[in-house]
Order: sequence, then structure tokens, then C-alpha cells
Amino acid sequence: MKFLTTNFLKCSVRTCDTSNDSFPLQYDGSKCELVQDESIELNPEFLLNILDRVDWDAVLSVAADLGNTTLPPNKPVFSSTSVDELNEDEQAVLRDLHVLLVQTNIVEGEMKCKNCGHIYYIKNSIPNLLLPPHLA
Amino acid sequence: MLPTPYVKCDYSKVYEPSEDSFLLLDALEEDKQYLQQKFQNQLAVVCELGPGSGIVTTFLMQNEIPIKNSLYFAVDINPWALETTLDTAKRNSCEKYFMDPVRSSLCSSFRNNEIDLLVFNPPYVPAEEVPLIPKSKEYIDEWLDLALLGGKDGMDVTQIVLDNLNQTLSTKGIAYILFCARNKPEEVVKLMKKKYNWDSKLIVHRKAGWEVLSVYRFYKDI
Ligand SMILES: [Zn+2]
Repeated sequence: MKFLTTNFLKCSVRTCDTSNDSFPLQYDGSKCELVQDESIELNPEFLLNILDRVDWDAVLSVAADLGNTTLPPNKPVFSSTSVDELNEDEQAVLRDLHVLLVQTNIVEGEMKCKNCGHIYYIKNSIPNLLLPPHLA
Repeated sequence: MLPTPYVKCDYSKVYEPSEDSFLLLDALEEDKQYLQQKFQNQLAVVCELGPGSGIVTTFLMQNEIPIKNSLYFAVDINPWALETTLDTAKRNSCEKYFMDPVRSSLCSSFRNNEIDLLVFNPPYVPAEEVPLIPKSKEYIDEWLDLALLGGKDGMDVTQIVLDNLNQTLSTKGIAYILFCARNKPEEVVKLMKKKYNWDSKLIVHRKAGWEVLSVYRFYKDI
């Protein structure tokens, strides 16, 4: 699954919904295998829309889990919403974020809920958030 | 008419695109303009529940519904459906779109109020009960039952989704859900208004064999 998807997935256990610790999940960096997939091309407008929407703290948290601690502490802000008016530095930031959020795939891995501790797995790029019957 | 995806997969493992799937495509085609206007200049997060072969999610990608800048999630309990959805997307050259399959029971693993467009062709066939989740990926027939049988009135699974719409969908969120006549959709939509204040609109309906199928759009005008 793509890195950006981590920004949408929470623990499936219903009682964890009331806890702030059920999102984002905590990814085990030593067990996650990352692969870059370049099939989606950079579309700056798409990326600006994504950035508008993402929970930046969750991006930071998952990036750190996976060993990337170079992101700015605050969500990047851009001088313009029009792509053509962005300066070179800003274009570079967008390119980096595209590589991280859209092109980075977690193909194998595991992650756990920081509230209940339940462990979920990613296999062949597909995350499995199905609960065993006793938790569902 | 919009192009329809080319689908080639093992129908012993996933639900074969049928009248209901095509009716759902027609509903989304019918509402294409409406959706485009609703989500223009922003990101749209799309989630299809029970994608089966992946025909609907692939159709959405190849026709850029609701908008070009969309994220697509295909959610199924059936592991075969998730693999097949990836495959169908590839066969139709949709790798350039953002799509991830997620194995999950309905929307329980998605952050609340983040989905803008929910699409669901549910297991709507009335049956004594909804089958249990098969114990192994290899119990192929049991996975297919899960795609069809919907318990009492065929509404057991659909009702869970409807009862959770307020938590699932974003403030602008819209859902397209397919019903058969035995689901008593007219009563269902009245109750959705009364209980949760969801408006609804019948987008398309069609006779398929001795079954009448319909697709309703659920929305809130804000
Ligand atoms: Zn949990």
C-alpha cells in the first residue's frame, strides 16, 4: 500500500474509536519492506490537494516509524495555490512529498494499534485490517 | 456512453460482473456531472465496498469519477477480490491513478468522516443469515456466498453501512448503494431521512430477470 494510505487507516477495533491512539497505526520499521513505484507521475495540483487534506502529524509519525526523520515539523505552506506560480524550492518540496506519499509502497510489513496493541499485517502490498472473530 | 472496463478473472473466486454491477456503473455515469461539480478543486476520497472483480473502481478511475484528483480505496473481506481488483485496474491501464485495496470489514478500518464518495453493491439477496467469514482463503465457494447473501430482507450488511454513514462520510460525503426490490428500498430511504437526516434520490432502476434493481444516492445538502 502507498504511504499516503497510512493517513486514512485506523485500528478496526470499535472501542478504540474513542482513543486518540488508534490513529495513525504504529508501523514496525524493521519489518516493513519499502519499494518505490513510479507508475503515478507527479501532478503538483493533485499533491497540493492531498496536502490540504492530510493529517501532517500522522505523516510525521509514520515517516519516523519507517526511518525518515527529515520532514519539516509543520505542514509545508506554499506561496500560491496556482502551480505555475510556485518557486523552485516549493517545486522541490512537492517532488519530495510525491516520492514519499505517492510513490513509496509498503509491500510487506506490520503495524500495531497504540491503544489496544493489536497487530495488523501488510502482505503483497495489501494491508489486512480484518479482526479475528473474538474482536470483531 | 462511457467506456466500461475489460474484465477477465476467475469467477469461481470473485463475483462476476452482472446486471447489478452494470446498473451501478450507469448510476455513476448518470451522476458524473453532479459529482464533478460537487468535488471540483479539491481531493476526493473514494471508497468502494465489495469491489469483487474491480469493475466499478476501475470504471471510476478510467472515467475520472468524481474528479481527476481522487484517491481510490477498494475494500473487501474476500482476499481474492482485492487481488482481482488490482489486476483489473492493471488490465485497463489504470496504474497511473491512486488506488489501494484494503482488506477490512466494511469501513471499520477507515478514519471517521474522511470518505467523500462511497459506492456499494452489497450482498442483497435475502437469506436466513449472513454467512460467516470463511476460515481459509482456499474455501472458494464460501467467499462467493459472502458476496451474495444479505440475511433478513437482504439488508443485514447494507443496514450496517447505512447506520454508520454519519461516521463514515465527510461533511460533503455521498453514497451510492444498490438495492433489490425485496430490500424494500422505499422504506429504507424514508427511515434514513427520519433517523439520520440523509436525503436520497433514486438514480436508476431496472428489471433484471424477476428482480427489480435500483441505485439510490444518499446525500446531505449543506
Ligand atoms: Zn486498537
